[in-house]
Amino acid sequence: MKRFLSMPPQITRLVLLTIAIICAYFTARYLLTPQSFGQYGHYRGAALQEIAGREPFWAGRKTCDTCHGEIVQKLAKAEHKGLSCETCHGPAKAHVDNPEVKLPKPGYGQCVRCHEASPSRPAWIHQVTPAKHYTGQVCTECHVPHQPNEVP
Amino acid sequence: MNADLLTNAVDLIPQVQGYAYPNERTLHPLWSVLIVVYPYVTGLVAGAFIMASLVRVLNVKALEPIYRLALLTALAFMLCATLPLLFHLGHPERCYEIMMTPHFTSPMAMFGFVYAWYLMAVLLLELWFDYRRDFVDWSRTESGLRGLIYRAFTLGVTDLSEPALRLDARMGRIISVVGIPSAFLLHGYVGFIFGSIKANPWWGNVLMPIIFILSAVVSGMALCVFAYLFLCWTRRVTADMRCLDLMTSFLFYALVIDATIEGLDWLHRLYSAEEGIEVLRSLASGKLFYTLLLGQAMMGTLVPLLLLGSLQLARKWVSDLNRRRVYFGCSALILLGVLAMRWNVVIGGQLFSKSMRGFMSYKMEFAGHEGWWLSLALLALPFIILTVLIKYFLALDLPTIENVVPGAVRRPHSSQAAEGRAG
Amino acid sequence: MSENVTRRNVLKNLAGIVGGILALPAARTCQAAVRNVFATAQAPKGYDPFKHKWLMALDVDRCIGCGFCVEACKAENSVPQDNFRTWIERYVVTRPKPGSGESRGDTFVDSPDGGIGGFKPSLIPKEDVLKSFFVPKLCNQCENSPCSQVCPVGATFESPDGVVLVDKNYCIGCGFCIQACPYGCRFLNPETHTADKCTLCYHRITRGLRPACVEICPSQARIFGDLKNPIADDPLQRFIENNKTQGLKAHLGTKPRVRYANLDEEVR
Repeated sequence: MKRFLSMPPQITRLVLLTIAIICAYFTARYLLTPQSFGQYGHYRGAALQEIAGREPFWAGRKTCDTCHGEIVQKLAKAEHKGLSCETCHGPAKAHVDNPEVKLPKPGYGQCVRCHEASPSRPAWIHQVTPAKHYTGQVCTECHVPHQPNEVP
Repeated sequence: MNADLLTNAVDLIPQVQGYAYPNERTLHPLWSVLIVVYPYVTGLVAGAFIMASLVRVLNVKALEPIYRLALLTALAFMLCATLPLLFHLGHPERCYEIMMTPHFTSPMAMFGFVYAWYLMAVLLLELWFDYRRDFVDWSRTESGLRGLIYRAFTLGVTDLSEPALRLDARMGRIISVVGIPSAFLLHGYVGFIFGSIKANPWWGNVLMPIIFILSAVVSGMALCVFAYLFLCWTRRVTADMRCLDLMTSFLFYALVIDATIEGLDWLHRLYSAEEGIEVLRSLASGKLFYTLLLGQAMMGTLVPLLLLGSLQLARKWVSDLNRRRVYFGCSALILLGVLAMRWNVVIGGQLFSKSMRGFMSYKMEFAGHEGWWLSLALLALPFIILTVLIKYFLALDLPTIENVVPGAVRRPHSSQAAEGRAG
Repeated sequence: MSENVTRRNVLKNLAGIVGGILALPAARTCQAAVRNVFATAQAPKGYDPFKHKWLMALDVDRCIGCGFCVEACKAENSVPQDNFRTWIERYVVTRPKPGSGESRGDTFVDSPDGGIGGFKPSLIPKEDVLKSFFVPKLCNQCENSPCSQVCPVGATFESPDGVVLVDKNYCIGCGFCIQACPYGCRFLNPETHTADKCTLCYHRITRGLRPACVEICPSQARIFGDLKNPIADDPLQRFIENNKTQGLKAHLGTKPRVRYANLDEEVR
């Protein structure tokens, strides 16, 4: 202590100032670092829960299966087996929450989005040039979407 | 023909030629003029400091008239260096997080500490030790607000005894020695912010920090020449030609090294034909033609190189007035050239898609967050601060040859340092 | 004399420190307030991020370019109109000029509106097309992610379950991560002013649902699974077994985790 005080005055002053700044920095750091910071890594651990806490928008095929198991099973046997119900029927969350709410009927637009011929599409998917294939707008006249191999 | 058709079709997307990732199709680059200003201002700090250090570390006596001016310039620009970054943030109110939870692998977070170190431990300390005697003197003679400010700056130390002043001089020298690598670190880090981005072939380059340091030194020296001549002109005093000639020859050599390394960078890129070289080549001959080839290479580098270089050889035959004119013009050109270089790096690096398949264009905006007015204001702010600093801290000793002689008595460091070495 | 002055100042400083300690309770309240800002929504209970490792794989030969996945992602994550967490690119490689001695002609890439609403027929006549295909893109969830490496505050990170996430309540919006991403997968959200990107629908996968794009994809071009908990006849395991896979821009050393099968050299 004595030695410290016998340092030249300007140095003493600067050392004290430096210590004060460093103390202020660490105090600020202690106060301003969020609690969960560093829980898993260099980030707020609570962020994981926050991001996971959002409400899902699409209900998912599993949810449809709880009531419409019969249709889902039928679908699983045919070529459209990989399809999710909501791909064609649209978001079903409102319907899940309240079965009274009906979903809009899928139509021509949905069929053409996947089956319109394009040189960019892989060969495995059935493709048609709509203008040549059929002039109407109701694909279900000839095709059953849940069992594409069948003819009604 | 078919190819043209498709290119036209893709061109329907505004401002994109060829293909760019959908997220890259923005109205203006993510980092716009503000981020051009940021490395420019930081570079001027580092360069001006190097200029000042020449006096202290290398003991170049002829440069004494600009020692304080260079340090004050560095300080004025340093105080503004982080402002463009701050204004650019999406959440400026969260900026404290950079200091509270710095991510050690991030060049930007480390810049915060390098900046703090440089401002507090180098620039302010060096200025304080240099000015301490004057603060004490002025606080005794001046009254009112000025006197109060000077008194606060003495930090309550009024000891002006012989050993105390000798200590000030010694400390100043030590800090200068530490300061040079710190100045390199400061601007090298700015270069590393860009150089570390491997996703971008224009930026991700080992030479980037070095190029940034060198161009910083060049621009800072040019700024010192510019500010000195400007100050002499406003105060209607004759500039010290010995000091000016020496400053500009340092500037010339720095420019030679800078131009060589930048040329080497381009040569290497072209020769090794790295990924994306086609994109860079078409940028240089197209969208960046004016700023890169004309602005940066011609007006900012070649012309000053030729003018300053010929003055190195033919100094004797050119009158003082004409030399001053050439120096003034060259320093202004270099300052603009380095600004163009920052533009080319920052904006140029965002004019092409990272898919290397297309180009975006830059739509200039005047008002607003990313606009020109804000950038111009931020570029003008350090000059305003510098004016205030000069008014308060350089008013009492004019940086001319006539004043250096009494100044040497007023300012202890030169005579004291000599004594210190003798003793 | 100078020593006296110094001593007095030491005492003054000590008094300041003592005062600072006395002010600690007030500071604690302030800290609690800061922390409250960050305590918001809750996660699904019982999810342990250390017990999962999620991965998505893409089969280029299965993608039909319908664009349903892009729409699903937009709806699921309220993605702003001009930005994309996932998108589809169409590649058209033309035939080389006869006698040119080239293996292929020019390559044209487009992604109008990210693929929303599907792709209009290409303007290049069918007979000029050497080959053409669709490539779905999304965040590659790099193991050595350049984006989280450069984040100055730790607002973006690799979660223990293998997803690179953005903490939008902590992000300062500097845009460094967006510049650092070689894949163009990140964007600055104009509503939150923070960085935004694909989360592999973290809020869905932690609840046992599949990501929205995987759920909606009609052609199983997107395969998703948990490497730590393979299910019976796991599609992801089967995909890795049956295909030669690769990641995008491997030369950058980012170690992308998302796998692609049947990728052409033109894709980057």
